[in-house]
Amino acid sequence: MAIGTVLRTIKQAIWLGWKVETNWADPLIFAIYYLIRPLAGLLIVGFIFVVSSVVATAPLDPSYFAFMFVGNGFFIYVSQIMMSMSMLIHDDRAHYEVLKHIYLSPGSLAWYIFGRALNGVMNASVSLLLTFGFGVLIFQGLLGVQIPIDWFGINFPVLALSLVLGIVCFIAMGFMLCAINIMTSRVQFMLSEYVSGILYLFGGVVFHPEILPSWGQAISNALPITYFLRIVRFALLGQTSITVELNLLYLILTMMATIAVGVISFKIAMYKARKDGLIDKKEEY
Amino acid sequence: MREQLVHDLRAAYARLWVRIKGGNREPEWLIAEMIIPVLTLSAYIYIYKMLKAPPEFAGFVIIGGTMVAFWTNVLWNMSAQFYWEKETGTLEVYFVAPISRMAILFGMALGGFVNTTLRAITVLLAGILIFQVPLTLNEPLTALLLFFLTIIALYALGMLFASLFLMYGREAWHTANLLQEPVHFLSGSYFPYTYLPFLVQLLSSMIPLTFGLDGIRRVIIMGQGIGSVWPNIVALVIFILILLPLAKFALSYMENLGKKEGRLTLRWQ
Repeated sequence: MAIGTVLRTIKQAIWLGWKVETNWADPLIFAIYYLIRPLAGLLIVGFIFVVSSVVATAPLDPSYFAFMFVGNGFFIYVSQIMMSMSMLIHDDRAHYEVLKHIYLSPGSLAWYIFGRALNGVMNASVSLLLTFGFGVLIFQGLLGVQIPIDWFGINFPVLALSLVLGIVCFIAMGFMLCAINIMTSRVQFMLSEYVSGILYLFGGVVFHPEILPSWGQAISNALPITYFLRIVRFALLGQTSITVELNLLYLILTMMATIAVGVISFKIAMYKARKDGLIDKKEEY
Repeated sequence: MREQLVHDLRAAYARLWVRIKGGNREPEWLIAEMIIPVLTLSAYIYIYKMLKAPPEFAGFVIIGGTMVAFWTNVLWNMSAQFYWEKETGTLEVYFVAPISRMAILFGMALGGFVNTTLRAITVLLAGILIFQVPLTLNEPLTALLLFFLTIIALYALGMLFASLFLMYGREAWHTANLLQEPVHFLSGSYFPYTYLPFLVQLLSSMIPLTFGLDGIRRVIIMGQGIGSVWPNIVALVIFILILLPLAKFALSYMENLGKKEGRLTLRWQ
């Protein structure tokens, strides 16, 4: 397919995704909406730290808070991408009944889905910035919890690299969800919750995976998010105990495996969907 | 009068039956609704473990995670239900039937309660068994009283929201989404709400789940009795007395407004 067509498909998909996500509210309400949920998630985790500090017999290390703050903040990418990609096939096929038209258009459905995922990435980035801003204001400004992040010493090249690799990885996982959704009905709500729940528990998001049982640590070591968050923390917190090169290598390896599974499962699902007539399958709407 | 009551009870039973049948016909839904909450609450328990908090905090999380299942059900299967019905084209059928709208909501609430209780018990047992949480239950009847009052108050709130969501399209979906984590935070689902700043506690006190959770935790985890949780009981009764009539009024008001604006059958908003 010509590069121009691919780029046009991605651009239109981003634009469409933006409209679908935003045009139900005016910009201020939309911004509040995109701030409140992730901020509330951060407040839950932050207050667990505050409560634990109060009941602890010895002062807690503020680096724990930074660990949770960064992990929970960057988890927005996972939840946002999984949510938008998990609902996409259901919405376009059963709810708005446009999937068949997109399938018939000159652009590829895969690039359209990729574009919609990029829209999720954009929304997640806005959420992340807002959540970090308000999170620092609330915890450091109002509650006096020290967040040991040197805002002027952030390693931006490493952060950018980890973000690109991590986001590609999460989008590949999203393609797996799309593949499952094309083949099935009425599982779209639970799929994103399953993936987010597993990654949140085993991915070293809000606690060190070392405290998991050994089988849990094995799962954690197989997940790209574990390495993604380690590198992000290295870039933001300057944690010298982390070997960034090794974690980058693991992130790239797990990313390649995820992409391979994502692409293959999506191709198989599309082949079977065409064969079994599932592309315009109607559900309850 | 008697005939109308019989009609309404039949409608409530029919809606209850559909809710129970629909909620349990897909085994993958059933399994997901039992496993996913355990994943989330496990993560929070591990945070407490990492921070070396006392073991009763794991119990707080498990009770919170269990009650959150009911809140989720209230949000998606009560509040947003009329939105789904509108999208699938069944809302108008309810409205032309010679029955009370409250009977429909009552049936949905009962069915939702039965379904969610099955899942919540699993979450509770899994949490207690996996994390070996110490329980000190001295007054089981007080715990049950608190639980049922909390459930009635929550579903009454769900009925009120259902009327508000009646008119809306995607706003309803997003509002239900918006009322998840913020309510988990404000109600202290994963930590005692008493650690929140005073002004935030004032906000928390507008949510029945806050009083229910606090009372149930005191009775089940800390071994307290009715002598210390009676303010929670009073607060929940007040919520019920306010929310149920308010829901009935709001439903009738929004239905009339919806008819005037022609939005009751409007899809894909």
